[in-house]
Amino acid sequence: MSATPTLTERAGALFHRYANPGRFLRLGVKLQPWLTWPALILSVTGLVWGLFFSPADWQQGDSVRIMYVHVPCAWLASSGYFALAVCSVLSLVWRHPLADLAAVEIGPVGACVTATCLATGSLWGKPMWGTWWVWDARLTSVLVLFFLYLGHIALIRGFDDPQRGYRAAAILALAGAVDLPIIKFSVQWWNTLHQPDSITLRGAPTMSHAMLWPLLVCTLGFTLGFAAIVVARLRAGVMESRIRSLLSSPRRNGEADTSGAVGEYAA
Amino acid sequence: MKRKTRRLWLVITCVAALGTAAGLTLSAFSSNIQLFMTPSQLNAKPPPADRTVRLGGMVVAGSVKRDRKGDTPINRFDVTDGQSAVTVSFEGILPDLFREGQSVVAVGSMAPGGGFMASEVLAKHDETYMPKEVAEALQKSGKWDPKFGPPPNAASWNAMTQKQASASVQGK
Amino acid sequence: MTHLPYIITSYGLAIGLALFLSIGAALRLRRDRARLAALEATRGAGRARGTGQGETA
Repeated sequence: MSATPTLTERAGALFHRYANPGRFLRLGVKLQPWLTWPALILSVTGLVWGLFFSPADWQQGDSVRIMYVHVPCAWLASSGYFALAVCSVLSLVWRHPLADLAAVEIGPVGACVTATCLATGSLWGKPMWGTWWVWDARLTSVLVLFFLYLGHIALIRGFDDPQRGYRAAAILALAGAVDLPIIKFSVQWWNTLHQPDSITLRGAPTMSHAMLWPLLVCTLGFTLGFAAIVVARLRAGVMESRIRSLLSSPRRNGEADTSGAVGEYAA
Repeated sequence: MKRKTRRLWLVITCVAALGTAAGLTLSAFSSNIQLFMTPSQLNAKPPPADRTVRLGGMVVAGSVKRDRKGDTPINRFDVTDGQSAVTVSFEGILPDLFREGQSVVAVGSMAPGGGFMASEVLAKHDETYMPKEVAEALQKSGKWDPKFGPPPNAASWNAMTQKQASASVQGK
Repeated sequence: MTHLPYIITSYGLAIGLALFLSIGAALRLRRDRARLAALEATRGAGRARGTGQGETA
Protein backbone atom coordinates (compact mmCIF):
# COMPACT_ATOMS: atom_id res chain seq x y z
CA MET A 1 0.00 0.00 0.00
CA SER A 2 1.27 3.43 -0.86
CA ALA A 3 1.56 6.20 1.69
CA THR A 4 -0.66 8.72 -0.10
CA PRO A 5 -4.08 7.32 -0.94
CA THR A 6 -4.91 7.15 -4.63
CA LEU A 7 -8.05 8.67 -6.05
CA THR A 8 -9.67 5.24 -6.25
CA GLU A 9 -8.91 4.62 -2.59
CA ARG A 10 -10.29 7.96 -1.50
CA ALA A 11 -13.43 7.44 -3.57
CA GLY A 12 -13.74 3.98 -2.05
CA ALA A 13 -13.46 5.36 1.47
CA LEU A 14 -16.18 7.88 0.69
CA PHE A 15 -18.53 5.18 -0.64
CA HIS A 16 -17.82 2.89 2.28
CA ARG A 17 -18.98 5.49 4.76
CA TYR A 18 -22.41 4.77 3.37
CA ALA A 19 -21.80 1.07 2.83
CA ASN A 20 -22.46 0.12 6.40
CA PRO A 21 -25.95 -1.40 6.37
CA GLY A 22 -26.68 -0.39 9.96
CA ARG A 23 -25.92 3.22 9.11
CA PHE A 24 -28.04 2.92 5.99
CA LEU A 25 -31.01 1.64 8.04
CA ARG A 26 -30.85 4.68 10.32
CA LEU A 27 -30.47 7.02 7.33
CA GLY A 28 -33.29 5.24 5.50
CA VAL A 29 -35.76 5.64 8.36
CA LYS A 30 -35.08 9.38 8.41
CA LEU A 31 -35.15 9.72 4.63
CA GLN A 32 -38.30 7.71 3.99
CA PRO A 33 -40.99 10.27 4.90
CA TRP A 34 -39.12 13.00 2.98
CA LEU A 35 -39.42 10.85 -0.13
CA THR A 36 -42.82 9.25 0.35
CA TRP A 37 -44.98 12.27 1.14
CA PRO A 38 -43.64 14.71 -1.48
CA ALA A 39 -43.87 11.88 -4.02
CA LEU A 40 -47.51 11.27 -3.17
CA ILE A 41 -48.47 14.95 -3.13
CA LEU A 42 -46.62 15.83 -6.34
CA SER A 43 -47.83 12.76 -8.26
CA VAL A 44 -51.47 13.30 -7.32
CA THR A 45 -51.22 17.03 -8.08
CA GLY A 46 -49.54 16.40 -11.42
CA LEU A 47 -51.94 13.66 -12.52
CA VAL A 48 -55.07 15.62 -11.57
CA TRP A 49 -53.62 18.73 -13.23
CA GLY A 50 -52.79 16.79 -16.37
CA LEU A 51 -56.09 14.96 -16.51
CA PHE A 52 -58.50 17.81 -15.78
CA PHE A 53 -56.81 21.21 -15.92
CA SER A 54 -54.26 21.09 -18.72
CA PRO A 55 -55.39 21.91 -22.26
CA ALA A 56 -56.05 19.30 -24.92
CA ASP A 57 -53.61 19.25 -27.82
CA TRP A 58 -54.68 20.98 -31.04
CA GLN A 59 -54.33 17.82 -33.11
CA GLN A 60 -54.15 14.96 -30.63
CA GLY A 61 -57.08 16.10 -28.53
CA ASP A 62 -57.35 14.62 -25.05
CA SER A 63 -55.19 11.59 -25.76
CA VAL A 64 -52.20 13.87 -25.16
CA ARG A 65 -52.99 13.39 -21.45
CA ILE A 66 -51.44 9.93 -21.68
CA MET A 67 -48.16 11.84 -21.87
CA TYR A 68 -48.39 12.70 -18.15
CA VAL A 69 -47.91 9.04 -17.24
CA HIS A 70 -45.95 7.85 -20.28
CA VAL A 71 -43.11 10.37 -20.20
CA PRO A 72 -42.28 10.07 -16.45
CA CYS A 73 -42.25 6.27 -16.81
CA ALA A 74 -39.96 6.50 -19.84
CA TRP A 75 -37.62 8.85 -17.97
CA LEU A 76 -37.56 6.51 -14.95
CA ALA A 77 -37.00 3.43 -17.09
CA SER A 78 -33.74 4.92 -18.35
CA SER A 79 -32.61 6.64 -15.17
CA GLY A 80 -33.47 3.55 -13.09
CA TYR A 81 -31.21 1.54 -15.36
CA PHE A 82 -28.53 4.19 -15.01
CA ALA A 83 -28.77 3.78 -11.23
CA LEU A 84 -28.39 0.03 -11.73
CA ALA A 85 -25.25 0.62 -13.80
CA VAL A 86 -23.80 2.90 -11.08
CA CYS A 87 -24.48 0.20 -8.47
CA SER A 88 -22.74 -2.28 -10.74
CA VAL A 89 -19.57 -0.17 -10.91
CA LEU A 90 -19.60 0.22 -7.12
CA SER A 91 -20.07 -3.51 -6.81
CA LEU A 92 -17.43 -4.62 -9.32
CA VAL A 93 -14.72 -2.11 -8.39
CA TRP A 94 -15.25 -1.44 -4.69
CA ARG A 95 -17.20 -4.59 -3.68
CA HIS A 96 -19.72 -2.27 -2.07
CA PRO A 97 -22.17 -4.52 -0.15
CA LEU A 98 -25.01 -2.00 -0.13
CA ALA A 99 -24.71 -1.49 -3.90
CA ASP A 100 -25.33 -5.22 -4.38
CA LEU A 101 -28.47 -5.10 -2.28
CA ALA A 102 -29.59 -1.91 -4.07
CA ALA A 103 -29.13 -3.59 -7.46
CA VAL A 104 -31.35 -6.47 -6.29
CA GLU A 105 -34.10 -4.01 -5.34
CA ILE A 106 -33.86 -1.56 -8.27
CA GLY A 107 -34.26 -4.28 -10.90
CA PRO A 108 -37.92 -5.26 -10.35
CA VAL A 109 -39.06 -1.65 -9.80
CA GLY A 110 -37.32 -0.57 -13.01
CA ALA A 111 -38.82 -3.47 -14.94
CA CYS A 112 -42.33 -2.54 -13.75
CA VAL A 113 -41.82 1.09 -14.77
CA THR A 114 -40.46 0.07 -18.18
CA ALA A 115 -43.44 -2.24 -18.72
CA THR A 116 -45.78 0.66 -17.87
CA CYS A 117 -43.89 2.91 -20.26
CA LEU A 118 -44.32 0.37 -23.08
CA ALA A 119 -47.99 -0.26 -22.27
CA THR A 120 -48.98 3.41 -22.02
CA GLY A 121 -47.00 4.13 -25.19
CA SER A 122 -48.97 1.44 -26.95
CA LEU A 123 -52.22 2.89 -25.64
CA TRP A 124 -51.15 6.26 -26.98
CA GLY A 125 -49.93 4.90 -30.30
CA LYS A 126 -53.13 3.09 -31.22
CA PRO A 127 -55.42 6.13 -31.38
CA MET A 128 -52.76 8.56 -32.67
CA TRP A 129 -50.41 6.68 -34.97
CA GLY A 130 -52.92 3.99 -35.85
CA THR A 131 -50.89 1.09 -34.49
CA TRP A 132 -50.17 -0.53 -31.13
CA TRP A 133 -46.59 -1.29 -32.01
CA VAL A 134 -44.02 -0.64 -34.68
CA TRP A 135 -40.45 -1.92 -34.82
CA ASP A 136 -38.80 1.48 -34.96
CA ALA A 137 -35.50 2.24 -33.25
CA ARG A 138 -37.02 4.00 -30.19
CA LEU A 139 -39.65 1.38 -29.38
CA THR A 140 -37.31 -1.52 -30.03
CA SER A 141 -34.48 -0.11 -27.90
CA VAL A 142 -36.89 0.40 -24.96
CA LEU A 143 -38.13 -3.18 -25.38
CA VAL A 144 -34.48 -4.29 -25.23
CA LEU A 145 -34.15 -2.29 -21.99
CA PHE A 146 -37.13 -4.18 -20.57
CA PHE A 147 -35.49 -7.52 -21.40
CA LEU A 148 -32.21 -6.30 -19.86
CA TYR A 149 -34.12 -5.61 -16.63
CA LEU A 150 -35.69 -9.10 -16.76
CA GLY A 151 -32.28 -10.68 -17.40
CA HIS A 152 -30.79 -8.76 -14.48
CA ILE A 153 -33.62 -9.85 -12.16
CA ALA A 154 -33.14 -13.50 -13.13
CA LEU A 155 -29.34 -13.43 -13.02
CA ILE A 156 -28.92 -11.72 -9.64
CA ARG A 157 -31.16 -14.33 -8.02
CA GLY A 158 -29.93 -17.24 -10.13
CA PHE A 159 -26.94 -18.45 -8.10
CA ASP A 160 -26.67 -20.38 -4.86
CA ASP A 161 -23.79 -18.14 -3.87
CA PRO A 162 -25.27 -14.60 -3.90
CA GLN A 163 -21.83 -13.06 -4.47
CA ARG A 164 -21.54 -14.78 -7.83
CA GLY A 165 -25.03 -13.57 -8.75
CA TYR A 166 -24.12 -9.99 -7.83
CA ARG A 167 -20.98 -10.16 -9.98
CA ALA A 168 -22.71 -11.68 -13.02
CA ALA A 169 -25.68 -9.30 -12.83
CA ALA A 170 -23.37 -6.30 -12.45
CA ILE A 171 -21.54 -7.28 -15.64
CA LEU A 172 -24.85 -7.66 -17.46
CA ALA A 173 -26.09 -4.28 -16.20
CA LEU A 174 -22.89 -2.52 -17.30
CA ALA A 175 -22.91 -4.16 -20.72
CA GLY A 176 -26.58 -3.28 -21.13
CA ALA A 177 -25.88 0.38 -20.31
CA VAL A 178 -24.87 0.69 -23.97
CA ASP A 179 -28.62 0.69 -24.66
CA LEU A 180 -29.15 3.97 -22.77
CA PRO A 181 -27.55 6.32 -25.34
CA ILE A 182 -29.18 4.28 -28.08
CA ILE A 183 -32.61 4.95 -26.54
CA LYS A 184 -31.81 8.62 -26.05
CA PHE A 185 -30.51 9.31 -29.55
CA SER A 186 -32.56 6.75 -31.51
CA VAL A 187 -35.00 9.44 -32.61
CA GLN A 188 -32.15 11.58 -33.96
CA TRP A 189 -29.88 8.96 -35.52
CA TRP A 190 -32.56 7.10 -37.44
CA ASN A 191 -35.98 7.89 -38.77
CA THR A 192 -38.65 6.51 -36.49
CA LEU A 193 -42.39 6.70 -36.02
CA HIS A 194 -41.79 8.02 -32.51
CA GLN A 195 -41.36 11.79 -32.52
CA PRO A 196 -38.13 13.43 -31.30
CA ASP A 197 -37.83 14.76 -27.74
CA SER A 198 -39.87 17.85 -26.91
CA ILE A 199 -37.72 18.80 -23.95
CA THR A 200 -34.02 19.16 -24.71
CA LEU A 201 -31.08 20.87 -23.07
CA ARG A 202 -30.62 22.98 -26.17
CA GLY A 203 -33.50 25.29 -27.00
CA ALA A 204 -36.96 25.94 -25.63
CA PRO A 205 -39.28 22.99 -25.09
CA THR A 206 -41.61 22.58 -28.07
CA MET A 207 -44.53 22.32 -25.73
CA SER A 208 -46.99 24.83 -24.35
CA HIS A 209 -46.18 25.86 -20.78
CA ALA A 210 -49.69 24.82 -19.80
CA MET A 211 -48.65 21.22 -20.59
CA LEU A 212 -45.01 21.48 -19.55
CA TRP A 213 -45.70 22.33 -15.89
CA PRO A 214 -47.98 19.37 -15.08
CA LEU A 215 -45.52 17.14 -16.94
CA LEU A 216 -42.61 18.38 -14.82
CA VAL A 217 -44.62 17.99 -11.60
CA CYS A 218 -45.57 14.43 -12.58
CA THR A 219 -41.98 13.60 -13.48
CA LEU A 220 -40.64 14.90 -10.18
CA GLY A 221 -43.40 13.12 -8.25
CA PHE A 222 -42.85 9.80 -10.02
CA THR A 223 -39.07 10.10 -9.55
CA LEU A 224 -39.43 10.66 -5.80
CA GLY A 225 -41.90 7.79 -5.72
CA PHE A 226 -39.40 5.52 -7.44
CA ALA A 227 -36.74 6.56 -4.92
CA ALA A 228 -39.16 6.05 -2.00
CA ILE A 229 -40.05 2.54 -3.13
CA VAL A 230 -36.42 1.60 -3.76
CA VAL A 231 -35.36 2.94 -0.34
CA ALA A 232 -38.19 1.04 1.37
CA ARG A 233 -37.32 -2.18 -0.46
CA LEU A 234 -33.63 -1.66 0.28
CA ARG A 235 -34.35 -1.22 3.99
CA ALA A 236 -36.29 -4.48 3.88
CA GLY A 237 -33.46 -6.10 1.92
CA VAL A 238 -30.87 -5.02 4.50
CA MET A 239 -33.04 -6.40 7.29
CA GLU A 240 -33.49 -9.67 5.40
CA SER A 241 -29.75 -10.13 4.97
CA ARG A 242 -29.35 -9.33 8.68
CA ILE A 243 -31.95 -12.01 9.44
CA ARG A 244 -30.15 -14.49 7.18
CA SER A 245 -26.83 -13.86 8.84
CA LEU A 246 -28.38 -14.20 12.30
CA LEU A 247 -29.98 -17.50 11.31
CA SER A 248 -26.85 -18.86 9.67
CA SER A 249 -24.60 -18.20 12.65
CA PRO A 250 -26.68 -19.79 15.42
CA ARG A 251 -24.60 -19.72 18.59
CA ARG A 252 -22.40 -16.79 17.85
CA ASN A 253 -24.41 -13.90 19.08
CA GLY A 254 -22.39 -11.17 20.58
CA GLU A 255 -19.60 -11.73 18.12
CA ALA A 256 -19.25 -9.85 14.87
CA ASP A 257 -21.02 -11.49 11.97
CA THR A 258 -18.66 -12.79 9.38
CA SER A 259 -21.17 -14.07 6.86
CA GLY A 260 -21.02 -12.58 3.42
CA ALA A 261 -22.57 -9.41 2.21
CA VAL A 262 -23.46 -7.69 5.44
CA GLY A 263 -20.35 -8.69 7.30
CA GLU A 264 -19.41 -5.29 8.64
CA TYR A 265 -22.64 -4.83 10.55
CA ALA A 266 -21.07 -3.97 13.84
CA ALA A 267 -18.37 -1.77 12.36
CA MET B 1 -5.57 -1.26 -2.68
CA LYS B 2 -3.99 -1.32 -6.15
CA ARG B 3 -6.46 -4.09 -6.98
CA LYS B 4 -9.35 -1.64 -6.86
CA THR B 5 -7.66 0.79 -9.22
CA ARG B 6 -6.94 -2.09 -11.57
CA ARG B 7 -10.56 -3.26 -11.41
CA LEU B 8 -11.75 0.29 -12.11
CA TRP B 9 -9.59 0.50 -15.23
CA LEU B 10 -10.73 -2.95 -16.28
CA VAL B 11 -14.37 -1.89 -16.02
CA ILE B 12 -13.71 1.38 -17.89
CA THR B 13 -11.84 -0.45 -20.66
CA CYS B 14 -14.54 -3.10 -21.04
CA VAL B 15 -17.35 -0.56 -21.18
CA ALA B 16 -15.43 1.59 -23.68
CA ALA B 17 -14.66 -1.43 -25.88
CA LEU B 18 -18.24 -2.62 -25.77
CA GLY B 19 -19.54 0.87 -26.51
CA THR B 20 -17.23 1.17 -29.51
CA ALA B 21 -18.26 -2.25 -30.78
CA ALA B 22 -21.95 -1.38 -30.41
CA GLY B 23 -21.43 1.98 -32.10
CA LEU B 24 -19.63 0.43 -35.07
CA THR B 25 -22.27 -2.29 -35.43
CA LEU B 26 -25.11 0.21 -35.33
CA SER B 27 -23.51 2.54 -37.86
CA ALA B 28 -22.80 -0.44 -40.15
CA PHE B 29 -26.46 -1.53 -40.01
CA SER B 30 -27.77 2.03 -39.94
CA SER B 31 -29.81 1.72 -43.13
CA ASN B 32 -31.56 -1.39 -41.77
CA ILE B 33 -32.48 0.42 -38.58
CA GLN B 34 -34.27 3.18 -40.45
CA LEU B 35 -38.00 2.66 -40.14
CA PHE B 36 -38.90 4.04 -43.53
CA MET B 37 -37.53 5.12 -46.93
CA THR B 38 -37.95 8.65 -48.19
CA PRO B 39 -39.62 9.40 -51.55
CA SER B 40 -36.21 10.39 -53.00
CA GLN B 41 -34.71 7.05 -52.05
CA LEU B 42 -37.72 5.23 -53.42
CA ASN B 43 -37.60 7.09 -56.74
CA ALA B 44 -33.84 6.74 -57.07
CA LYS B 45 -33.85 3.00 -56.47
CA PRO B 46 -37.37 1.59 -56.80
CA PRO B 47 -37.63 -1.73 -54.93
CA PRO B 48 -39.18 -4.73 -56.75
CA ALA B 49 -42.97 -4.74 -56.71
CA ASP B 50 -43.14 -7.86 -54.52
CA ARG B 51 -41.11 -6.33 -51.70
CA THR B 52 -42.93 -4.65 -48.82
CA VAL B 53 -41.31 -1.38 -47.82
CA ARG B 54 -42.22 1.56 -45.64
CA LEU B 55 -42.44 4.99 -47.15
CA GLY B 56 -42.29 8.08 -44.96
CA GLY B 57 -42.81 11.75 -45.66
CA MET B 58 -45.17 14.67 -45.53
CA VAL B 59 -48.61 14.65 -47.17
CA VAL B 60 -48.54 17.30 -49.91
CA ALA B 61 -51.12 20.07 -49.41
CA GLY B 62 -53.97 19.81 -51.90
CA SER B 63 -53.00 16.34 -53.10
CA VAL B 64 -55.51 14.30 -51.08
CA LYS B 65 -58.35 12.77 -53.12
CA ARG B 66 -60.95 10.77 -51.21
CA ASP B 67 -63.18 8.35 -53.07
CA ARG B 68 -65.43 5.44 -52.18
CA LYS B 69 -65.78 1.93 -53.56
CA GLY B 70 -68.89 0.60 -51.83
CA ASP B 71 -68.13 0.98 -48.15
CA THR B 72 -64.37 1.19 -48.41
CA PRO B 73 -62.86 4.63 -48.69
CA ILE B 74 -60.18 4.92 -51.36
CA ASN B 75 -57.54 7.55 -50.73
CA ARG B 76 -54.87 8.92 -53.01
CA PHE B 77 -52.31 11.41 -51.83
CA ASP B 78 -48.75 12.50 -52.53
CA VAL B 79 -45.98 12.03 -50.01
CA THR B 80 -42.90 14.22 -50.22
CA ASP B 81 -39.59 14.76 -48.47
CA GLY B 82 -39.15 18.17 -50.05
CA GLN B 83 -37.12 16.91 -52.99
CA SER B 84 -39.20 14.20 -54.55
CA ALA B 85 -42.77 12.92 -54.28
CA VAL B 86 -44.56 9.59 -54.56
CA THR B 87 -48.29 9.07 -55.10
CA VAL B 88 -49.77 6.68 -52.55
CA SER B 89 -53.08 4.91 -52.92
CA PHE B 90 -54.67 3.32 -49.89
CA GLU B 91 -57.97 1.50 -49.42
CA GLY B 92 -59.20 1.81 -45.87
CA ILE B 93 -59.77 4.21 -43.04
CA LEU B 94 -56.98 6.72 -42.46
CA PRO B 95 -55.86 7.44 -38.88
CA ASP B 96 -57.40 10.42 -37.06
CA LEU B 97 -54.22 12.45 -37.29
CA PHE B 98 -54.02 12.14 -41.07
CA ARG B 99 -54.21 15.55 -42.74
CA GLU B 100 -52.43 17.57 -45.36
CA GLY B 101 -49.03 18.66 -44.08
CA GLN B 102 -48.87 15.74 -41.61
CA SER B 103 -46.01 13.25 -41.67
CA VAL B 104 -47.12 9.71 -42.43
CA VAL B 105 -45.56 6.29 -42.80
CA ALA B 106 -47.17 4.08 -45.47
CA VAL B 107 -46.53 0.32 -45.51
CA GLY B 108 -46.86 -1.33 -48.91
CA SER B 109 -45.08 -1.88 -52.21
CA MET B 110 -44.51 -0.17 -55.54
CA ALA B 111 -47.37 -0.67 -57.96
CA PRO B 112 -46.37 -2.10 -61.38
CA GLY B 113 -47.67 1.00 -63.15
CA GLY B 114 -45.84 3.40 -60.82
CA GLY B 115 -47.01 4.85 -57.55
CA PHE B 116 -47.16 3.19 -54.17
CA MET B 117 -49.88 0.77 -53.04
CA ALA B 118 -50.24 1.04 -49.27
CA SER B 119 -51.74 -1.68 -47.11
CA GLU B 120 -51.44 0.41 -43.95
CA VAL B 121 -50.99 4.11 -43.25
CA LEU B 122 -49.63 5.36 -39.93
CA ALA B 123 -49.71 8.99 -38.85
CA LYS B 124 -46.53 10.42 -37.35
CA HIS B 125 -46.98 13.43 -35.13
CA ASP B 126 -44.19 15.84 -34.38
CA GLU B 127 -42.73 16.82 -31.01
CA THR B 128 -44.86 19.97 -30.79
CA TYR B 129 -47.66 20.09 -28.24
CA MET B 130 -49.92 23.13 -28.10
CA PRO B 131 -53.47 23.93 -27.04
CA LYS B 132 -56.08 24.37 -29.74
CA GLU B 133 -56.38 28.09 -28.99
CA VAL B 134 -52.65 28.69 -29.47
CA ALA B 135 -52.66 26.80 -32.76
CA GLU B 136 -55.62 28.89 -33.92
CA ALA B 137 -53.93 32.13 -32.87
CA LEU B 138 -50.79 31.20 -34.81
CA GLN B 139 -52.83 30.39 -37.89
CA LYS B 140 -54.96 33.53 -37.66
CA SER B 141 -51.90 35.72 -37.34
CA GLY B 142 -50.54 34.15 -40.51
CA LYS B 143 -47.42 32.83 -38.77
CA TRP B 144 -48.19 29.23 -39.61
CA ASP B 145 -50.28 27.06 -41.88
CA PRO B 146 -50.29 23.43 -40.73
CA LYS B 147 -50.76 22.34 -44.34
CA PHE B 148 -47.29 23.52 -45.26
CA GLY B 149 -45.07 22.35 -42.47
CA PRO B 150 -44.11 22.38 -38.81
CA PRO B 151 -45.11 25.21 -36.45
CA PRO B 152 -42.80 28.22 -35.91
CA ASN B 153 -40.01 28.34 -33.35
CA ALA B 154 -41.41 27.16 -30.02
CA ALA B 155 -39.86 30.00 -28.01
CA SER B 156 -42.21 32.43 -29.78
CA TRP B 157 -45.37 30.80 -28.46
CA ASN B 158 -44.77 28.27 -25.69
CA ALA B 159 -45.42 30.80 -22.92
CA MET B 160 -48.72 31.83 -24.55
CA THR B 161 -51.71 30.91 -22.41
CA GLN B 162 -55.05 29.77 -23.71
CA LYS B 163 -56.63 33.06 -22.63
CA GLN B 164 -54.05 35.20 -24.42
CA ALA B 165 -54.47 33.04 -27.50
CA SER B 166 -58.27 33.32 -27.51
CA ALA B 167 -58.00 37.07 -26.93
CA SER B 168 -55.62 37.51 -29.87
CA VAL B 169 -57.93 35.47 -32.11
CA GLN B 170 -60.93 37.59 -31.16
CA GLY B 171 -58.95 40.81 -31.47
CA LYS B 172 -58.29 40.12 -35.15
CA MET C 1 -62.93 13.76 -23.61
CA THR C 2 -61.83 12.01 -26.75
CA HIS C 3 -60.16 8.59 -26.57
CA LEU C 4 -61.34 8.20 -22.99
CA PRO C 5 -60.83 4.41 -22.71
CA TYR C 6 -57.16 4.76 -23.69
CA ILE C 7 -56.60 7.59 -21.20
CA ILE C 8 -58.34 5.80 -18.34
CA THR C 9 -56.44 2.57 -18.99
CA SER C 10 -53.12 4.44 -18.98
CA TYR C 11 -53.83 6.26 -15.73
CA GLY C 12 -55.21 3.05 -14.24
CA LEU C 13 -52.02 1.19 -15.13
CA ALA C 14 -49.80 3.85 -13.56
CA ILE C 15 -51.88 4.09 -10.37
CA GLY C 16 -52.20 0.32 -10.13
CA LEU C 17 -48.46 -0.08 -10.48
CA ALA C 18 -47.78 2.56 -7.82
CA LEU C 19 -50.18 0.88 -5.40
CA PHE C 20 -48.79 -2.59 -6.12
CA LEU C 21 -45.18 -1.52 -5.56
CA SER C 22 -45.74 0.66 -2.51
CA ILE C 23 -48.09 -1.73 -0.70
CA GLY C 24 -45.71 -4.57 -1.50
CA ALA C 25 -42.77 -2.64 -0.08
CA ALA C 26 -44.70 -1.57 3.02
CA LEU C 27 -45.84 -5.12 3.82
CA ARG C 28 -42.36 -6.50 3.27
CA LEU C 29 -40.86 -3.82 5.52
CA ARG C 30 -43.38 -4.57 8.28
CA ARG C 31 -42.84 -8.34 8.09
CA ASP C 32 -39.04 -8.01 8.11
CA ARG C 33 -39.07 -5.55 10.98
CA ALA C 34 -41.18 -7.95 13.07
CA ARG C 35 -39.02 -10.94 12.17
CA LEU C 36 -35.81 -9.11 12.95
CA ALA C 37 -37.16 -7.82 16.26
CA ALA C 38 -38.32 -11.32 17.25
CA LEU C 39 -34.99 -12.83 16.25
CA GLU C 40 -32.96 -10.22 18.08
CA ALA C 41 -35.14 -10.57 21.16
CA THR C 42 -34.50 -14.33 21.36
CA ARG C 43 -30.80 -13.78 20.69
CA GLY C 44 -30.71 -11.06 23.28
CA ALA C 45 -32.35 -13.35 25.83
CA GLY C 46 -29.92 -16.13 24.97
CA ARG C 47 -27.05 -13.77 25.47
CA ALA C 48 -28.31 -12.62 28.83
CA ARG C 49 -28.63 -16.19 30.07
CA GLY C 50 -25.59 -17.51 28.29
CA THR C 51 -22.22 -15.98 27.72
CA GLY C 52 -23.12 -12.56 28.99
CA GLN C 53 -21.14 -10.78 26.31
CA GLY C 54 -21.54 -7.10 25.61
CA GLU C 55 -23.92 -5.40 23.25
CA THR C 56 -23.36 -5.37 19.55
CA ALA C 57 -24.48 -2.83 16.96
